[in-house]
Amino acid sequence: MRFFSLLLLGGSLVMPAHAADAQNWLSRLLKAEKQQSFQGVFVYERNGSFSTHAIWHLIGQNGGARERLLKLDGSPAEMLRVDGRLRCVSSTSADQLIEEGVWPPRPLDPQELTNWYELRMIGESRVAGRTAVVLAILPRDQYRYGFELHLDRETALPLKSLLLNEKGQLLERFQFTQLDTSTTLAKEKLEPGPACRPVKVLDAEGAEQDSWRSEWLPPGFTLRSAHAQPSPISGETVTYLMYGDGLARFSVFIEPLRGVPVEDARSQVGPTVAVSKRMATADGDTMITVIGEIPLGTAERIALSMRAGGEKAD
Amino acid sequence: MSREALYESLSAVMDDEADELELHRVLAAGRDDAEFRATWARYQLARAAMHKELLEPRLDIAASVSAALSMEDTPKIKIENTPKARRFSWGMVGRIAVAASVTVAVLAGVRLYNQSERAGAEMAQQATQPSLPIPQAHGTPVLAGYTEGAEQPQASSPNEAEQDANWHEKRLPAYIRQHAQQSTVNGAESALPYARSTSLENR
Repeated sequence: MRFFSLLLLGGSLVMPAHAADAQNWLSRLLKAEKQQSFQGVFVYERNGSFSTHAIWHLIGQNGGARERLLKLDGSPAEMLRVDGRLRCVSSTSADQLIEEGVWPPRPLDPQELTNWYELRMIGESRVAGRTAVVLAILPRDQYRYGFELHLDRETALPLKSLLLNEKGQLLERFQFTQLDTSTTLAKEKLEPGPACRPVKVLDAEGAEQDSWRSEWLPPGFTLRSAHAQPSPISGETVTYLMYGDGLARFSVFIEPLRGVPVEDARSQVGPTVAVSKRMATADGDTMITVIGEIPLGTAERIALSMRAGGEKAD
Repeated sequence: MSREALYESLSAVMDDEADELELHRVLAAGRDDAEFRATWARYQLARAAMHKELLEPRLDIAASVSAALSMEDTPKIKIENTPKARRFSWGMVGRIAVAASVTVAVLAGVRLYNQSERAGAEMAQQATQPSLPIPQAHGTPVLAGYTEGAEQPQASSPNEAEQDANWHEKRLPAYIRQHAQQSTVNGAESALPYARSTSLENR
């Protein structure tokens, strides 16, 4: 709360030139992730969870990136990504991933982002023993959350990222405690452990893109992924849609109920909200579940705005 | 210790500025002293009014503090080994939270209480049960902060209500994980969605 007031106060004094500066820093960040090898340790914290992770990020001779992430406490969750593609994951639900071929990842566009967020330089800080510039990414409406990014002054890598709600309260913290950008990475550090299983990619077929649509979306959010998958619980076909504004994302799961009596539900896991709404369709009742790092009100409104193909709003 | 000092400590607790010693003093007074408890409630009310925040009269911080203290000695290891621990239960969340730290329980409770107007009454009610990581032997991850919808029908039979709860309970963990993991595929920044995703696997 206190921090947010400071942030607002600081913001009101900032010159417009700083916006361009902030945009430059974001562009530098995107470049840095493609060009800078590094290794380090970071913490992730949200309400109900605190964990530490190691990361190794190697840019090869040909410019390809290889990245390995390993959880350091509790179960050793692991992930290996090569040239932006997930190679292996040690996770209980790794078989739920969808081939990104049909819906290629869209890189963040700082210019486009300024339509939905205000970018501000709000000062300097020190993270993991390194000097950082602090960037505020403030939503222009109440439909999304804001970020505070601390970028390494030397390399523009993100040293710290905070997700803040509309009151400036902290929803999640991502923060390096140690970062090394100069030492050459040992090859074996980028080899996955035995628990890291190859990713089974779901068929993207059956994604009838017009079967469900949203009558309302917060400005800037567009469909990033759509497909149909069988539910591991009921066997029913679940329609899965993912939307994003370049920074925030939410998923919509649509499952036919076939007469099962189920009530609406809401829940919150750290920064992630889940809203389930029952909806009547021509094929009987359906449960719409919206999940994402967005305010509860936004998720509610999206859930209410989902329509089966061809159906009109009431 | 003087009355004034105690009230100063209470102010500090409410501003999240208390040290551990102060917090324990306030907790002890909140448990034993009805007058102090009433003052605490008034402070909470005043603070809520000042910040135009949600007012939830049903939330009795003092009572939950007392409950927390009385359960302080619950051995954590015992809970972990109970077969019941695999099942989702708010009672369990509360107990483990207490075992982990009364300090966190109370501070998080106070902070969560003010967190969101729109989250409505049931969120505030559950605020006294902060969701700390749950040690689990097997099974699905516990949904921290899982709440049922506000519009529970009065007429539904217990059987139906149970079915309802299970429906969401079975699906939400998988849905949330898929959302987080899909974000690692579609997202530009890789480490953050990954960390979110692994934080759901409380094992």
